Amino acid sequence: MAKENAQNLIETSDYIGHHLVNLTFGWCEKTSSWGFANHQQELFKGLDSACKVSEMGFWSFHLDTIFMSILLGAVVFGFFGLVNRAAKKGVPSKLQNFAEFVHEFIASAVNSGYHGTSKIVGPLAFASCLWIISWNLMDLLPVEMASFFGHFGGGFNYFKILPTADLNAPLALAIVVMILVTYYSVKTHGAGGFLKELFIVPLGPLEFISYVSKHVALALRLYGNLFAGEMIFILIAIMFGQFAMSFSQTLWFLPGLILNLSWALFHILIVALQAYIFMMLTIAYLNLASTKH
Amino acid sequence: MNINATFFAELLAFCIFVFITYRYIWPSMENLLEDRRKEISDGLEAASQSQRKLEEANKESAVILDGAKAEASSLINQANSRADQIIDEAKDQAVEEAKKIKLSAEADIEQSTNKAKDGLRDEVAALVIAGAQKILDKEINAKANKDIIDSLIKKI
Repeated sequence: MAKENAQNLIETSDYIGHHLVNLTFGWCEKTSSWGFANHQQELFKGLDSACKVSEMGFWSFHLDTIFMSILLGAVVFGFFGLVNRAAKKGVPSKLQNFAEFVHEFIASAVNSGYHGTSKIVGPLAFASCLWIISWNLMDLLPVEMASFFGHFGGGFNYFKILPTADLNAPLALAIVVMILVTYYSVKTHGAGGFLKELFIVPLGPLEFISYVSKHVALALRLYGNLFAGEMIFILIAIMFGQFAMSFSQTLWFLPGLILNLSWALFHILIVALQAYIFMMLTIAYLNLASTKH
Repeated sequence: MNINATFFAELLAFCIFVFITYRYIWPSMENLLEDRRKEISDGLEAASQSQRKLEEANKESAVILDGAKAEASSLINQANSRADQIIDEAKDQAVEEAKKIKLSAEADIEQSTNKAKDGLRDEVAALVIAGAQKILDKEINAKANKDIIDSLIKKI
């Protein structure tokens, strides 16, 4: 019995670990070569390196994150681009109505929150909000689905479909926002004024710390929320999966389904809300940066 | 939570998607919506303008209708008076004609009366003469008593 429990524990940690590891392609110090992390995929035999994920350094790429985010971006922005191209001046089609509704929603947020003159804020808010929503929606797909299709369809043992749960992606967005905020701050207040604001008035270097941390927090907030959501899906899956296995009663499937469904419904709120918060904060930071105060 | 080179890939991808939005999606959407807004406001303006025009046309048509009614009634009045006039004229003519006919009839009557009188007279005279001749055949010459007989005829 004890042995069985220990066995289960190992399986559990394996299961969680499996779901938290990205498909990684990177530089392996041991063999001094590029390749996939050890045993992550079976598709490209020659590219399998001797390093594990944890042994790869900074120069590695999470291919699943990159692939999924670009795919989702292509779908979302492709949709808007195509709808725009097909747009008529007269009575709009339903797709066009939808696209216009989304645009109006974001444009009204930008117009009410941003009082500067920059033309980039609207597109930035639009791109970040929609891209993040499309990422977050991947969280609503069943946790096992990606692994299932990755394994049988592509020969990938590890494949995370949720780019938001990889800190690199939200951080990239937040850093772009930070660069723009810095640019507009310097443009509005001058380099001297900006530095003075960061380091001297009114609380000295504390301002600098808050300046950096608010941008990092922008990324971490998004990442944390979605990572936690993903984690809960995984835990629900484990709990009922184990019950079902140990009691050989597939009826345990039912409460699992209900719990999963209720969390998914609640999670829809987080999906949209986090994207909205990211967009609104982006607008607010840029507004602060490009208006004199 | 491992930061690695994925970050740069995501950075690049985000910049590209922002650029695509900036270049191809955002402005054309703004233009489209602006155009639609303008179109709608133009449409509403045109609608209210045509409403005004309709009201004006209604007023105008009422005025025209009133004028036409007045004209029609005056025409009817005119026609009525003209008809009265014609009837009066006809009456007058008829009366005149009747008078004429009456006069000529009277003249005819008188003429024929006279004729009858003359005829009668002549006949009576002849009768008288014949009577007198029969009387006088016995006693007097007709010629000698002619004056007396003529005076007799006149008396008749």
